[in-house]
Amino acid sequence: MNCEEVEERNILEGYLLDRLTEPEREEFEKHYFECGTCFSQLQTGLALQTELRRQPAMAARARGASLLRAWVWAPTFATIIILFSAGIWWNSAHNRPPSQQVPSPLKVSPNVRVQVQSTPAAPSLEELARVEPPPYSGVVLRGTEDEAHETFHTAMQFYEKGDYTKAIPGVRAAAKANPQSASFNFYLGVCYLLAGQTDPAIVSFRQTVSLGDPAYSESAHFYLAKAYLQKKEVARAKDELQKTVHFHGGLESEAAQILRQLGN
Amino acid sequence: MSLPSATNAGELRSLAVRIRQGDASAETELVHEFSHRVFVMGVVRTHDREAARELVQDVLMAVIGALRKGQLQDADKLAAFVHGTARNLINNQLRSACQRPPMEPLHEDLAQACRAEQLEDAERMRLVHQAMEGFGQEDRKILLMTLVEGHKPGEIAAALGLTSEVVRTRKTRAVKKVADLIRKKMSRT
Repeated sequence: MNCEEVEERNILEGYLLDRLTEPEREEFEKHYFECGTCFSQLQTGLALQTELRRQPAMAARARGASLLRAWVWAPTFATIIILFSAGIWWNSAHNRPPSQQVPSPLKVSPNVRVQVQSTPAAPSLEELARVEPPPYSGVVLRGTEDEAHETFHTAMQFYEKGDYTKAIPGVRAAAKANPQSASFNFYLGVCYLLAGQTDPAIVSFRQTVSLGDPAYSESAHFYLAKAYLQKKEVARAKDELQKTVHFHGGLESEAAQILRQLGN
Repeated sequence: MSLPSATNAGELRSLAVRIRQGDASAETELVHEFSHRVFVMGVVRTHDREAARELVQDVLMAVIGALRKGQLQDADKLAAFVHGTARNLINNQLRSACQRPPMEPLHEDLAQACRAEQLEDAERMRLVHQAMEGFGQEDRKILLMTLVEGHKPGEIAAALGLTSEVVRTRKTRAVKKVADLIRKKMSRT
């Protein structure tokens, strides 16, 4: 095998996607063990593939982070509301008859403010169990899909509109027709979870994990943890979060943060 | 940091001979030369980066052990020998993790070289992330459909309303851009 053949026959992509025959794979490996140029491209291709596989999880994480940012501002908003209330109270107190003893609002409000800032409320289990739908961007290739994929893509149109309950029958049919597909099982789990059907969600995520597809394993553990949090099974949720952390992927820091908040 | 080298056959032969003669620095050179390749091969074959990292150590230790004992008949075939050893160990691991033979740990210099490889991998991932932020939506889609979803250029072209040639060119250009960035940044360190 030479560099031209690698380029012309899309050998590099086939290798990364595990689509070469054993002799082709063997031949390409022998080639890149001696060819610096092809190895450099392969190494970059692998890094790109890893990064691209992380992207859905990272986008979900970014959405989670923006939600988190809102929580970060919560004490400030609370302070403003308290100060505003104190102002109203102070105003009304000054309008009371002079015989009534009125505590100074200037003494009250700074104390309240300090208290709010120093002890932000720890998120509840319900808040930690909150699920952001992972993004889905299925490109439909006309004439290149089997029936299961077509069913899946049609159903996922409901998912994209946020109608997870309506997406379930199609995604479930696709997963039944192709039980080895990690993406079908993963999105089926997500649909169930977002539709409030936690138990079947757990079954689908477990199935995804068992398939061992690196593109979905980390996310499956993470959403499995979310499902257990919804069921208030904290020990199991922690276990799944720890597994998520071990992937060192795009969901690592979010999983670690939830673990800390759970008092790990 | 080392980059994927294109060490010529003469240098590899000399490496094999020097290891047989007990030259410790040649062993470190061998680790630099092949650790990345064995790691990539391990990741692709096992789909598990952590397992691949462990395999790098096992493979290099097995190769160095064999070279020390003069078990490589033809020093010109060092690359093929490393590849063959890696393939056999990966296959063994895939067959059964518990049947792996116990390996003696690498001595500190070699272990350090392997750790450096791990740091380079992390740096490479950071640079790829940085490079991808500069890509347009369509280039990202082409890479996603090629490297993750496994579509052929013709299929991607039909989906995105481009020609196969354009898809091919843009994919090659994007990969080259990232590879150049990695080469440029990592050769500085």
